[in-house]
Amino acid sequence: MKIMNCPLNGPRNISEFTYGGELKAMPDSATCSDIEWADYVFNSDNAAGVVTEWWMHTPSSYWFLAERHTVTDQIIRTFDPKEVFNQRIDFHTNSTALKGVTA
Amino acid sequence: MNSLTAEAFKERSPLYAKHQDASLVALADTVAVARYSKAAENMQLARCALVDLSNLPRVCFRGTDTADFLHSKGYDLPETPNRANAQDDGSMVARLSQTEYLVLGSLRDAGTRVADLEAQWQLSEQANYLLPRQDSHAWLLLTGEHCAAVMAKLCGVDLRNGNFTQGAVAQTSAARINVIVINNHATALPSFHILCDRASASYFWDAVLDAMLEFGGKPAGIAVLLD
Repeated sequence: MKIMNCPLNGPRNISEFTYGGELKAMPDSATCSDIEWADYVFNSDNAAGVVTEWWMHTPSSYWFLAERHTVTDQIIRTFDPKEVFNQRIDFHTNSTALKGVTA
Repeated sequence: MNSLTAEAFKERSPLYAKHQDASLVALADTVAVARYSKAAENMQLARCALVDLSNLPRVCFRGTDTADFLHSKGYDLPETPNRANAQDDGSMVARLSQTEYLVLGSLRDAGTRVADLEAQWQLSEQANYLLPRQDSHAWLLLTGEHCAAVMAKLCGVDLRNGNFTQGAVAQTSAARINVIVINNHATALPSFHILCDRASASYFWDAVLDAMLEFGGKPAGIAVLLD
């Protein structure tokens, strides 16, 4: 069994984790084009090499980030998302934020 | 013959159908198993026993103000995640993440302090959010000198005393379902609190009993714990 180090819970069997996709910068949904938004939602880079990914430790529902080599499947580092997301982001609540929604 | 039956109460343990031959005892507004065998169960609990505490109140709170809220209610909180502090009244507070706390009721007051804590909570400006756990989780107590050996058959985490000390919390997988295991060796009786998905409780109860067989483990009631 592969072991992954959860930043909150410590080393655990890989079967306790759920993959959450690549870490991607979210475009501003109020100003970006439909193509940019669709690319963000549906497409993956699928790069060969070290990528940063979202993972969840399922028993504690704890989401964190992992640097993993997609060729060797070696997990290089796992860390709390607060290292990246260190300030509050308020999302638009007005209707202009709902791209593509028409009355 | 039982004078009390689980069917007479609105709140029933998800395992009540498995306790048909046990004698029951009143526990606040519901019932719990007093004992499985006619004889006293002290020796069984000291050796290896599984107790269903699912009818004892428990609740979670999460938020950046949760620590202040629980402090104001007189609870002593663990300083780091994945640790639990036993309280003077027999209840227990486990810290599951930076801002999430699980409060387990005490048998001494039938969990009324924790039930009141949940009932009195109100949504406010304070970032302290209620996470009801009574109907989401079942609560078992695995007791006795063999409890770490039993868990070693079901779980990938080393729960032996050297690694998993008094007050340690492990959120992990046991018998292939998600569980929260809390080391409760503070009392003379070594034991683990185990919380698992309530809908899977029947499966988990049987899986743990099966693992306990080789250690002479049996289900037991709360009568000894109330003494």
